[in-house]
Amino acid sequence: MTDTWPYLDVHQSRTHEPTPYEYKLAATLEEVYTREGHELADVVRGLNARQVHAADGAPWTEESFRAEMNRLGA
Amino acid sequence: MTLSSSATAEHIYATGLRNQWHPVVPSHFVAPGAMRKVTALGEQWLLFRRSDGALSMLADRCPHRGAPLSLGKHLGDRVACWYHGVEVEPDGTVSSVPGLPGCSLEGKKLVTSLPVREVAGAILAYFGDEEHPEPVALTLPEPLTDPGVDAFLCYAEWDAPWRYAVENLLDPMHGAFLHHDSHTMFDGDTTAKFRIRETGRGYFFEKTDQRGVNFDWVELCRTGVDWVDLSIPYPPSAGPGGPFGIVGMVCPVGERRSGVFFWRYRRVEDWQRASWRFLYRTLIEQRHWDVLEQDRVMLEAMPADADQQENLYQHDLGVVRLRRLYRAAAEAQSTAGA
Repeated sequence: MTDTWPYLDVHQSRTHEPTPYEYKLAATLEEVYTREGHELADVVRGLNARQVHAADGAPWTEESFRAEMNRLGA
Repeated sequence: MTLSSSATAEHIYATGLRNQWHPVVPSHFVAPGAMRKVTALGEQWLLFRRSDGALSMLADRCPHRGAPLSLGKHLGDRVACWYHGVEVEPDGTVSSVPGLPGCSLEGKKLVTSLPVREVAGAILAYFGDEEHPEPVALTLPEPLTDPGVDAFLCYAEWDAPWRYAVENLLDPMHGAFLHHDSHTMFDGDTTAKFRIRETGRGYFFEKTDQRGVNFDWVELCRTGVDWVDLSIPYPPSAGPGGPFGIVGMVCPVGERRSGVFFWRYRRVEDWQRASWRFLYRTLIEQRHWDVLEQDRVMLEAMPADADQQENLYQHDLGVVRLRRLYRAAAEAQSTAGA
């Protein structure tokens, strides 16, 4: 922790630099939210339609998406 | 050393109002078992944290010869001045004078110790003057205590007077211009009529003809600590949860320096909360930062006499009201000890 003035840190909420997978998922989520809506079912369908799958390559289910969000957004 | 009740109104206006709480720095700036020198209200302070997490805030001045305690050593439950080894406890009591055991300084509370609270990741301290050492009641902003609300703190240090940072928040119309090229404030009319609406704890400054489109209203709240609350729409890309809000506080560091505290919050729960947190960390925080930098660039470029040579109009009513309030408080505090 530096104590030199001024403290100007862009990223204060991260624990790590996002992985390429996390960047891709976030960008696709934004697109899905914009085009498909905000309901959980729409979001899961939108991600799967774009072939942006979970880290293990499996298509999303509502349960797996919820679990992954809880991990990434803890 | 303590904040003097004989300070002039001009000095108080320039360096921050006394007899209330102010944010100081984020909590994580002072790790367990560490200490940190900080400046607030124009004076030097030492934040001292024991390894069990207990935090205290001391005037950064050894009661012996005035050397900065922040150059001293953290002894676990005390700090020892580097100059002559005088040991000071977290409450400001001199526990030992190693050079002259039994010296009359021992056992006396000779260092000012400010009451501190840690709130949503920030350290708040009560800056009472000599006449008002006991802390006033502190009511925390509801968005920071409501379990249905999730917030991230963003802290930044600006070379601008604290008043300019608060005035900027009481000036919603700048959103439509300064932040026009941003992800959240691109929309809405660039002309507006505003009104002031009184509340029991401060006032709203709000547009009469538009809400929920840009930065359309702000509430100044004086609840033992001064803070503002405001709301800005998110684009659909941010997902479910509606607009994001900001709780803003400003630390008057010195005459030309401020620490700004912005909690970006959203009323979200369950997977929607997790989604927002994930997007915030990965993509949104950077965009918010870019907007905040626009404010910093503008405020740091304002001339020192900016508020002496102005031609204000209707949109500035919120600022005018704020200045009147702060000037009156500074006047009252400067004569409190007379």
